[in-house]
Amino acid sequence: MSRNVLEKLMHQLCVDRAVKQRFKEDPEGLLARYALSDEERAMVTGFDVAGMQKHGVNPMLTLGFWTENAPNRHPAAYMKALRGAVAEGQVFSAGLKQ
Amino acid sequence: MGKIVGGFLVPHDPVMFVAPEAPAEDIRKRMWGAYDTCADRLAALDATSAVIIGADHYFNFGTGCLPQYLIGTGDVDGPLDVLPGLKRQIIPASEKLAGFIAEHGHANGFDWAVARAFTVDHAVAIPDRLIIDPVRARGQSIGTVPVYIAAGVDPFIRMKRAIELGGAIKAAVEAMPDDERVVVIGSGGISHWVGTPEMGKVNEAFDREIMDYACTGNLAAIGGLSDDYILEHGGNGGMEIRQWAVAMGAMPGARGEIIDYAPVREWVTGLGFVQLFA
Repeated sequence: MSRNVLEKLMHQLCVDRAVKQRFKEDPEGLLARYALSDEERAMVTGFDVAGMQKHGVNPMLTLGFWTENAPNRHPAAYMKALRGAVAEGQVFSAGLKQ
Repeated sequence: MGKIVGGFLVPHDPVMFVAPEAPAEDIRKRMWGAYDTCADRLAALDATSAVIIGADHYFNFGTGCLPQYLIGTGDVDGPLDVLPGLKRQIIPASEKLAGFIAEHGHANGFDWAVARAFTVDHAVAIPDRLIIDPVRARGQSIGTVPVYIAAGVDPFIRMKRAIELGGAIKAAVEAMPDDERVVVIGSGGISHWVGTPEMGKVNEAFDREIMDYACTGNLAAIGGLSDDYILEHGGNGGMEIRQWAVAMGAMPGARGEIIDYAPVREWVTGLGFVQLFA
């Protein structure tokens, strides 16, 4: 199941420094090692955390993936991406590293 | 012979460390102070070991291995996920007790996964640092036994099995020839939504329902909650009441007392602190 492969990749992008670095430098090369569809690869490179959750990916992983890899790691940006609208007020993320 | 001498049910909220100034000052003081109260009460129990039950946050364990329940039987350190004010350090372990619990379980229908050298995450590191370390600093020698259950990543341990696992810990402690005085700590937030669109929501009614079950020792009620009910009312983070269920299962019949509680949206969690009396 691709949910499982996505979760494998998300987990590595949360905890494995070398994988995170490869994703930053050569995302297509990294993703070629995983059995993902074009749609799923686009979710990863586009930081489509809402799409991944709809795909069944554990929200703890989408949060960690965002916090460790997104261009704007602020939790408000994560919530905006997740909700598809401007997140109102202060948002605090359990995975936030400042 | 070993004995369980008390228990605590506490949160392990990393946002307290990341954004310590976020809530109103009185709430901040109360919540940090509740950990101090737990430490004071732990000191009075003259414990030799603490079994801390946490849950993996899809961090310690990946898709290659997702144990239903695991015990750290050797060296312990942590947290794996360092936080501001929570740096990684060696955690004094209670290896003999942990090994005994694993062996006793294996002989009695509980196939513990074991971690011989384990770096815990914040689920165990926070209560260890805030409740046990202050008591160690007063000169008491308390070893930590980390237990991890599947509450954050599916397939989730069944509530009934979580309670039974607590019973297995109790049976092992009581079968141990050494005079261990053991405290069990169920480490988990009550309602919280982690990484979902609802993140920041807190459901005080659900939190109070769970604390009521804890204070009245109502194992049947907490064990009867369906995953659908917990997810709807307590969020994906609310599945961590399983850690509370393990601790309660280790102390059947015990009554509890709320040390403090607050629904803290800024810390994305309902933070409840309960002491269980042996």
